[in-house]
Amino acid sequence: MTRNRWFLLALCLSATPLFAQTTPIDLEIGYRWTDISGNEDMYRTQINEDEGLLLRALTLATIDFGGKASYMDHFRLDISDMGVGPASALRLETGLSGTYRFNLRYRRTDAFSALPAFANPLLSGGVIPGQHTFDRTRDMLDADVEFLRWSAVKPFVGYSWNRFEGPGTTTWQVGQDEFLLSQQLRETDRELRAGAAFELGPVQGTFTQGWRTFRGRESLSLAPGAGNGNGSGTVGGRPITVGEITREEQTDVDTPFTTLYLSGQATSRIKLIGDFARFAADSESDGTADATGSLASFALSRFFSGLSEQTSGRAKNTTWRGGARAEVALGDKASMTTGYRREHRELDGSALIRTLYLQSVTFGGVDPRDIEVILNATNAFEREEDVLDASVSVRPLGPLSLKAGISQSSTDVTIAPDLSEIVVSGGQGGTFDRRVRSFQLDGNYARAGFILGASLRRDNADDPILRTDYLDRDRYRVHAGWKAPRYFRAGITADETQQSNNRSDTRFDAKLRQFTADVEVTPIAALTLRASGSRFRSDSNVLIRRPENFIIEESVHLERGKAFEGGLSFAWSRLSFDGSLSRFENEGSFPFELDRAQARLNVQVREQIGVVGEWAKDEYTESSFAIADYEATRFGVFLRLRR
Amino acid sequence: MKRYAFGGLVLLLLVCPLVVAQETPPAPTEPVPAAQEPAQEVAEEVAAPSCSDCHDQGKTFLTNPHARGAAVDGGVPNDVCSTCHGDGAEHMEAGGDKSKIVVPRGQAGAEETCMLCHDKANDRMTRRGMHANSEAVNCLTCHSVHSGDARSPHLVSKPQLALCGSCHTQAASMRNKPYAHRLDRGGMTCSTCHEPHGRPAKGERSLALTGHLRTTSDGQAPCLSCHTEKRGPFVFAHGGAEAGDCTTCHESHGSSNPKQLRRATVKQVCMECHSPTGPAPLGSQPPSFHNLSLPRYQNCTTCHVAVHGSNRDPQLLK
Repeated sequence: MTRNRWFLLALCLSATPLFAQTTPIDLEIGYRWTDISGNEDMYRTQINEDEGLLLRALTLATIDFGGKASYMDHFRLDISDMGVGPASALRLETGLSGTYRFNLRYRRTDAFSALPAFANPLLSGGVIPGQHTFDRTRDMLDADVEFLRWSAVKPFVGYSWNRFEGPGTTTWQVGQDEFLLSQQLRETDRELRAGAAFELGPVQGTFTQGWRTFRGRESLSLAPGAGNGNGSGTVGGRPITVGEITREEQTDVDTPFTTLYLSGQATSRIKLIGDFARFAADSESDGTADATGSLASFALSRFFSGLSEQTSGRAKNTTWRGGARAEVALGDKASMTTGYRREHRELDGSALIRTLYLQSVTFGGVDPRDIEVILNATNAFEREEDVLDASVSVRPLGPLSLKAGISQSSTDVTIAPDLSEIVVSGGQGGTFDRRVRSFQLDGNYARAGFILGASLRRDNADDPILRTDYLDRDRYRVHAGWKAPRYFRAGITADETQQSNNRSDTRFDAKLRQFTADVEVTPIAALTLRASGSRFRSDSNVLIRRPENFIIEESVHLERGKAFEGGLSFAWSRLSFDGSLSRFENEGSFPFELDRAQARLNVQVREQIGVVGEWAKDEYTESSFAIADYEATRFGVFLRLRR
Repeated sequence: MKRYAFGGLVLLLLVCPLVVAQETPPAPTEPVPAAQEPAQEVAEEVAAPSCSDCHDQGKTFLTNPHARGAAVDGGVPNDVCSTCHGDGAEHMEAGGDKSKIVVPRGQAGAEETCMLCHDKANDRMTRRGMHANSEAVNCLTCHSVHSGDARSPHLVSKPQLALCGSCHTQAASMRNKPYAHRLDRGGMTCSTCHEPHGRPAKGERSLALTGHLRTTSDGQAPCLSCHTEKRGPFVFAHGGAEAGDCTTCHESHGSSNPKQLRRATVKQVCMECHSPTGPAPLGSQPPSFHNLSLPRYQNCTTCHVAVHGSNRDPQLLK
């Protein structure tokens, strides 16, 4: 990907000589240092800001080409956080009015995860991090060109590229134990699309035909020292160990898709809108796996000393959705919208899995032989959803606006799992229907900087599909705010969501309440003070059945959160300062505290040149699990050029 | 090392042209010899007032798409301003009398200026979408037509997180949680997933059908725009993901729990569905050797690694 970034940079910079001297530029570049104590993996999982050179921001935009706008008459380049990221972006927009428009977007994110307790059966032995970790990057590129030469039809072509790659660790459950594997992953998704936006009399629309390909390659091998597996016990007196594991897997998916969007003004008061999308994703996957060691299979009631597995799978997902909507103006102060949508999703999959168990013997140690098991599995899934909705908006009295809407959503799901999946029968297949009726009422009053808004939504369902689906849900929201020009702004918001499924076998009940208040004061033009505070409370209960003893108990999840944030911005002469402090604490099921502080000082050395100093501190503490705690300080010095 | 080399190159290439630009200021406009210009023409040129004589916004319009193709000699002509503000001649003659110029404000201002051009057939610009024009929320609530932050595209008046968060406080506060998407960094903002202008279609199950979300180019949930590897299709799909959506297990705005999960532990996430205590819902019962009191079985994903779907194992073991 480095090569691509060089290309992108060269492409963007090649345009700079075209700019007039008046081109506004905003650049900030410098170096950042980090000082981390405690669990550095946790810091990287949550924040991951690294030490090194950082192009914090570059904006370069103009519409002034000094009268030489032959190839472009506007140009805008934005770059942010490029260098030691962990999330950087580049965006380029250019074009020539009436001829073409070109957009290029590039994003890069570092994806890191190494959590101490996640996927970690060895935590009690002090082993960290968990067994599922990764240190990967995701690069994304989108380029789109629109041709604007013709007024009736405007063709476009676009290309997207997304690559996710890097090392990681994972586990494989084989031979009655789990083994830690080192993993190398490289997944690339490409999409080419072409189409046209058109305007034919009163009808306007967009047609797109696209082709997407996904190529995934994964290599896995036994991690060093992981041959004893996670289990410390034995099977029939034999320890379960492996000497070697190798796995190679590849997945190819091809997806053509078509979308159509149409809109037209039927009469002066009625606008009709329709859309349709369809894609058919076809995947082929192959894999090989080899393992040697001392292993066991309860399914075969045998020990074996090696395994060789080949898998070949194919899956197809055909999805289409379409809808139509009418927007009707009912006089100057009222309007109505009504629409219908249908989505159909169909998934078929089949796999042939051939597993050769080498040098197997019975648990009694007799009947040595190689055994091949062939599994031919098939799966099918179908989901259909219909949505009908209507809403009316009225503005009866000047600043007062009201909106009321109803909708009905029906979902039918049919799952036909292969029998090979059925370990404990029940709940893995069948037909599931659910119908939800909703009602929503919103009101807003806005006058002289004062805003008062309230919202109510009520949903009622007849059946759940998943156990955590609600049968009744109510949402309330109230917001009030006041904004006085220049010197004061304040707002309060209260939200509550209650959902439940009161069936005796589920007893799902969840409630979320949040209250937020914020205020911003600007006593003098150079100084702004701001503060906000929020409290939230989340409770969720649902019955579960423990698999080991079938006892039914309550699964309880609680969050008792408080968040406070305060800051100030100050600008005087050649100095500007921005600082903030925040604290987030949760006393629920997963108690922790997170304190953050940051400050930024900009000293304008010359009219167009400034020096920026930055400091930030994050302190994360888990009250019941100190091994996850970290404290991270970052400071940086940046040069800022602005003209 | 590569990232430092890359950063160094960026620094070099970007700073050099700027330094050159700083050191070689634009050549001052050569004074036109009076003898070569008719005196009347010069007098007219001096007399013609420009909006930017009084309004600094005229200068910042060099980055403004509304002046595209109209810039002349580092400035914008009055015609650009009069598109929305009307003819400013009287306003100028009256010494800047504010009552003699059109100043679009509020809902009416948005409808009489912005929507004249932006109310095309594009679904996103629907008048009846999520943020349909009202006194409380209108184009000018979020867009600063004259002086959007130089780094903020589409003339959005503030960084998106601050802008959207001023009303959507609940979603904004989720970002303070330890596991959250990196908003306002690396190009990811609220509008990466949300369509601020609203699409009125609503749905229950499919994320892609809900009105306020963007979709992939083929109409799927916005999560899959980046997380392309989760698109599948998988031979052995996870019923929860197929019958539900990403938010069945994950909190999209931010979570107190690792992996942005909805529950503090993996076993809770899984067991709340995989407990068929009654006849109806989807979700199988794990076999009885899954002893939840043992650490080995508390993290279901230690064995069932392919929770998003598998092409190789019916039990999602690889």
